[in-house]
Amino acid sequence: MTPGKSPSQTDYKADKIKVLEGLEAVRKRPGMYVGDTGERGLHHLVYEVVDNSIDEALVGHCDQIEVTVHIDNSVTVVDNGRGIPVDLHPTEKKSAAEVVLTKLHAGGKFDKASYKVSGGLHGVGLSVVNALAESLEVEIKRDGKVYQQRYKRGIPQAPLKEVGRSKERGTRITFRPDPQVFETLEFSFDILSQRLRELAFLNKGVRITIEDERTQKKHEFVYKGGIVSFVEHLNRAKTPIHSRVVYLEGEREGIDIEIALQWNDGYTESVFSFANNINTIEGGTHLIGFKSALTRTVNSYAVASGQLKKDEENLQGEDVREGLTAVISVKVPEPQFEGQTKTRLGNSEVKGIVEALVNDKLGSYLAEHPADAKKIVMKGVEAARVREATRKAKDLARRKGALDSGSLPGKLADCQERDPALSELYIVEGDSAGGSAKQGRDRRNQAILPLKGKILNVEKARFDKMLSSQEIRLMISALGTGVKEDYDASKLRYHTIIIMTDADVDGSHIRTLLLTFFYRQMPDLVEKGHLFIAQPPLYKVKRGKQERYLKDENSLEDYLIEIGTENVRVRPTANGHGLAGQPLQTFIKKVLRWEKLMGMIARKRKSRSVIECLLMEEDFSEETLKDEAALKRFQSQIASYVNLISPEEAPISCGLEEDAEHGCFKLVCSTRSNGTGITTVINRDFLASPEFKELKRLFSEFTGLGYPPYSVENGEAEHKLRSLTGLLEYILEGGKKGQYIQRYKGLGEMNPEQLWETTMNPETRVLLQVRVEDAVEADRIFSTLMGDEVEPRREFIQEYALTVRNLDI
Amino acid sequence: MVVKCPICQAEVIWEGNPNRPFCSERCRLIDLGAWTEGRYRIPGEEPKQESDRDNGEEEEPS
Repeated sequence: MTPGKSPSQTDYKADKIKVLEGLEAVRKRPGMYVGDTGERGLHHLVYEVVDNSIDEALVGHCDQIEVTVHIDNSVTVVDNGRGIPVDLHPTEKKSAAEVVLTKLHAGGKFDKASYKVSGGLHGVGLSVVNALAESLEVEIKRDGKVYQQRYKRGIPQAPLKEVGRSKERGTRITFRPDPQVFETLEFSFDILSQRLRELAFLNKGVRITIEDERTQKKHEFVYKGGIVSFVEHLNRAKTPIHSRVVYLEGEREGIDIEIALQWNDGYTESVFSFANNINTIEGGTHLIGFKSALTRTVNSYAVASGQLKKDEENLQGEDVREGLTAVISVKVPEPQFEGQTKTRLGNSEVKGIVEALVNDKLGSYLAEHPADAKKIVMKGVEAARVREATRKAKDLARRKGALDSGSLPGKLADCQERDPALSELYIVEGDSAGGSAKQGRDRRNQAILPLKGKILNVEKARFDKMLSSQEIRLMISALGTGVKEDYDASKLRYHTIIIMTDADVDGSHIRTLLLTFFYRQMPDLVEKGHLFIAQPPLYKVKRGKQERYLKDENSLEDYLIEIGTENVRVRPTANGHGLAGQPLQTFIKKVLRWEKLMGMIARKRKSRSVIECLLMEEDFSEETLKDEAALKRFQSQIASYVNLISPEEAPISCGLEEDAEHGCFKLVCSTRSNGTGITTVINRDFLASPEFKELKRLFSEFTGLGYPPYSVENGEAEHKLRSLTGLLEYILEGGKKGQYIQRYKGLGEMNPEQLWETTMNPETRVLLQVRVEDAVEADRIFSTLMGDEVEPRREFIQEYALTVRNLDI
Repeated sequence: MVVKCPICQAEVIWEGNPNRPFCSERCRLIDLGAWTEGRYRIPGEEPKQESDRDNGEEEEPS
């Protein structure tokens, strides 16, 4: 409140009230004055009376307004202002109060000397309410006296009369809306509360209460923070991105400006503008000035701080206002309201004044609060990015139209079949593979879409894989479903969609990109099981004129064992029939498994010989680890076994250590491997590990054949082999003899016939159906690969590169 | 099933969600925009012939 600015109380007398006739007009056309005769107009009556009190508050003479809704829907508004003047009006020969209440366009507000600004609707305020009220009673406390007057439909029942004495001051008006005028008489507590709260925000420090005697509901609104509190209130359920509400304030050319703003992490813009306490729903010059200055100020800060490069496109207004909550309140001496509902401020001078204030004060704020400023700019930059992305996405969705029936992309080799349920689409990586696939396919129901994963040389040693927008478009139009809100599953042109990529890392990257795209933008296809991954073979083996394709490493090994055991019989040298044929194959596969497990153990830097020795000790169990004497015996056994079997691992030292956590011991053996020391720990965890358990199981099966050395007969000669490893090598070598083994590095290495035979022929091919879980996993891989943190990504790529060789997703 | 929104990482319920796996239409559009702008790239491996030379060497002749 700034009472100093206002004219003194003694100046506010009857001669200040100018008269304009025509109250009867109000009853004839109430809509012109209060909007309508429905709910809106009804509530407007209360606002008019309250605005009259607010006007007193604006000049610092009132800080308390009480609104009461009575049980008969009459309303009382009491304020502690100066009280409406009661002295005789010089030209009207009536009390000033009566003039105010009966003459249209009469009010202190039309005389700029009394009120600097006014919130009442163009000064028609109280007289309009009086005209539209069935009854109205006014009580004025002023200069130690109390005055009263009653009206019916705007007509005074008697002149204003002094009725008593009081030390208080203020105005009290009780009125009941006229049922002859209004379609509804029922006041809404919520509607009234909302506007009164708004007024309390806009007029800081003024206490406004509302009490509803019909329901005993009560609210009290008082905000010391004014519109800063308003913004906090509006943001109460949101998460602000900066803690302080920015408050800009100033006065220029008699116009008071207050602006409060704060950004939250949401995306909606909530900007409210007020002129002389009137909610300017239609905006106006104050809002225009604010918006343009805001955009300019944030942009120039963004450039100055380096967050926006000079060559980058400026942030647009909508970018800057994303997530913004703001309240602009101006107080203008002679407001011009325009528009359909008279809620657009028209005073043209206001625009420049608001602009200048925001440029100046917001600019300083940003410069003085760089942390807040950074977040605000970032928010705008992100919004700009989203706007651009959305535009492109919409563009894409729109273009789809042109690609409907008849005009499919030229690169697509479509099939003859028209029934989607019977049609297949192969999405093939690479032009050459695409060419082979086009030649090799069954054109009756197989369509081919070659896609080229684009390789970008980002840095000198980094080549990124991506799908160009062109490619994404091709795919969407070939599938026929469209995207976004236009997505229509019933338009899918192929119910079997097969991704066919090379079996190398690049191929797996393209596959990951495709799977991620489908998962994100067409999850429906995955859910319905339309998506598949082709399984092209990894190997081709040729023996004489026979050719075979093998899909992976395991199949190759099985094949080599099958060939390598042909006409071979293995038996221990001592005695027995030994093994041949199918049982021998099974046995060799187990040896291979054993070798792989041992390989894993060696990679974990444990001594293979020590583990072998442990496996030979059949009774060794977790219990043994508690038996110190048994362990000591075993210790020396290990030493002699290692010295005998692989002397290169010596010197060996073997010790017992306490395993306090498990109440037992652990064996710690140090040996050498390729010149460096390695430590093999045999403890409870190791004995319980799956690989040890499997090794133990396999080992017990091997004893069925007896101990080495083994004698191997292949019909022509007999060999002696010292170990299982030697036996395995012999068999695998035998399998490879006379074979030409080719590892396919890409689909392009296969000719059309081979591609058809191995990967596309429905009779022989193997397809992997993509389930939602697989797609989730692809998305996870993709997100990790895309991630910003370099180190986890690098590790991940290495790990991932190993696993993708198995062609599993 | 609960998944993470690929854009804002919010937890998203899959079933009955028209924007799955996204939390909102907005995030879905951001993603679609990123595809069409070619912003999604998978960092490739270093080319093989380069990697041998690369070990610990600052200078590269090419």
